[in-house]
Amino acid sequence: MAVKKFKTMVNPEKIKGDTRYGDLYKPHGKVRKRREWRGVQDTLYDYWRWLGIMMTLGKFVMVPRNVKAMFRYRWMANYLAVPMMVDRFTQGLRGEYLRMAHEEQDLIIIDVAKLLNTLFRGDRRIGNDEEFSKINVLVDENEMTAVMMGFPNLKCTSRETPSTYVSVLLNQHAAEHYIDVAQEFGLAGDVCPMPEAEAGVSIDDDAPILGACAVQCNTTCDGSLLGNGVISERLEKEDGIPVFQLPAPLRHKQDDVQDYAAEEIRRAIKFIEEHTGHKWDWDYYFECARRVNIATRCRNEWLDMNKTDYPQIFGGNLALYTETNYMAICGKVPDFEKCDKKLMKLAEQAYKKRRMAAPEYRHRAIVWGVQSHFYMDFLVWLLNCWGIVPLTDMLSCINTEMIAETDTPENREQAYYDMAMLTEEMIMRNRTHGGYKVLLNDLFRFVEEYNADMIILWEHITCKALDGMHGMFEDRARELGIPLIWVDHQLFDPRVVSRQGVRDQVNQYMRTVMQEEPLDPTLEFLDDENSW
Amino acid sequence: MKKKALKALLYLLLTVSGLFVVTFTVYFFNLDMKLTSMIEPFLLKHYDRIPRNQHL
Repeated sequence: MAVKKFKTMVNPEKIKGDTRYGDLYKPHGKVRKRREWRGVQDTLYDYWRWLGIMMTLGKFVMVPRNVKAMFRYRWMANYLAVPMMVDRFTQGLRGEYLRMAHEEQDLIIIDVAKLLNTLFRGDRRIGNDEEFSKINVLVDENEMTAVMMGFPNLKCTSRETPSTYVSVLLNQHAAEHYIDVAQEFGLAGDVCPMPEAEAGVSIDDDAPILGACAVQCNTTCDGSLLGNGVISERLEKEDGIPVFQLPAPLRHKQDDVQDYAAEEIRRAIKFIEEHTGHKWDWDYYFECARRVNIATRCRNEWLDMNKTDYPQIFGGNLALYTETNYMAICGKVPDFEKCDKKLMKLAEQAYKKRRMAAPEYRHRAIVWGVQSHFYMDFLVWLLNCWGIVPLTDMLSCINTEMIAETDTPENREQAYYDMAMLTEEMIMRNRTHGGYKVLLNDLFRFVEEYNADMIILWEHITCKALDGMHGMFEDRARELGIPLIWVDHQLFDPRVVSRQGVRDQVNQYMRTVMQEEPLDPTLEFLDDENSW
Repeated sequence: MKKKALKALLYLLLTVSGLFVVTFTVYFFNLDMKLTSMIEPFLLKHYDRIPRNQHL
């Protein structure tokens, strides 16, 4: 079988400003020497958005309880690095691509700042607003929040999102302390470091305490079940916060599990009603459902665009936004609807002009597996260093179906099945569970649909769900003549495989197997081990 | 009156330009991140000193 190769596309427009991005790194440094010069217009735009981020951060620290929290919670130190996270994700981006990145990221920053405000206002150690605490329902970080779509006056609050999930995006070393704490207390070291770090936050007495009740989900793996057990033990027995376990079926493609899944959703809603005194509101549910459909429609269109020669919302711009908008927001925040529409407008504008995000597109890649969280901007690096366009990633390949959005008696019944479906089709679990069809067959279906000539396959070392299929991925790629690059990583722990360790795996493959030279050689080796 | 208004406008322009020069310098040379990266070690030492009720 001949090896499939995409014809290199050269950008007719010159990339303005800096093009040697590696020169901006300071060896051994935590931060970069300076920000990127993107030409006058784009630099001024980026500067303007930076001012906006500084305003968001400024408003946040003007609240005394937030400053108090900064001195109480270790993970809060990571928020010093917020502007640098944006710099990493916008590296090399110009024009519409830069604007899309800022539309998404600046909104996510505002949303996380609101979440932190909520946490600290209700937190018994910080704001201790007891009445406010009673309207909070705690949820896991990696949990579909569909069961909160009918409670307009309750807050769906995740402690793990700011303490671990966002923290690692900000600072690659953020979770190391908590992973170590969990292992010092005897927890296994061979589980996923994400739930392990979340459990570590709880063990380390570093989680805010608030809420009327909590809903945990059997996310995807042994690590998740282990972490949830540790966290719920403390919540229930020490903090007096009752916890509901929402066990979504793992065989989510099978019809025979759907009644059970819908019943679990009913039970979760009943549990929330009982512990908060708030009643389910169908008007609000269908309003949220309408917004979920808008997000799904937009995402479907972006992915369709990525099947053409001129992909627009891809890489970091697709992955980070999808993760936030699909699960944590789930139709509940109207600002994300506005953002969806703005992104669509920018994408259509760029598509009409046949814009390209890099000087050359050499390969079209599907990125599969669970991506390294401490190096999410690797997708930007792939594009800038090697001209590999990450068309879509596994975690962005989620639900594509519309849910019922008009209030009728039949749709009220259907709604439980829709919420169950959204929960089952949650990011990551919809691929890591459900059988080889969703994990293996779908990958190669996407390779065909997207006209991809390369697969970047993340191998998350302690993710048992994916590791078992290693050989099957290789066999199928060989059969079809698709170059497949394995990239080992340990999700939240860069001490196991560093960022350069991640890059080296691609560099070696590109030089030896593909016999290619990098687009930007300054990015091939970066001394960023100490970097945020 | 006109002279006063012109003077006020000039002061406003100078202030805005001054603010732009200062903030753009901070932005471009990454001075905000360089400053916060110096704060982090002190915060980490502080967190180590907080008594905690660590348990499973």
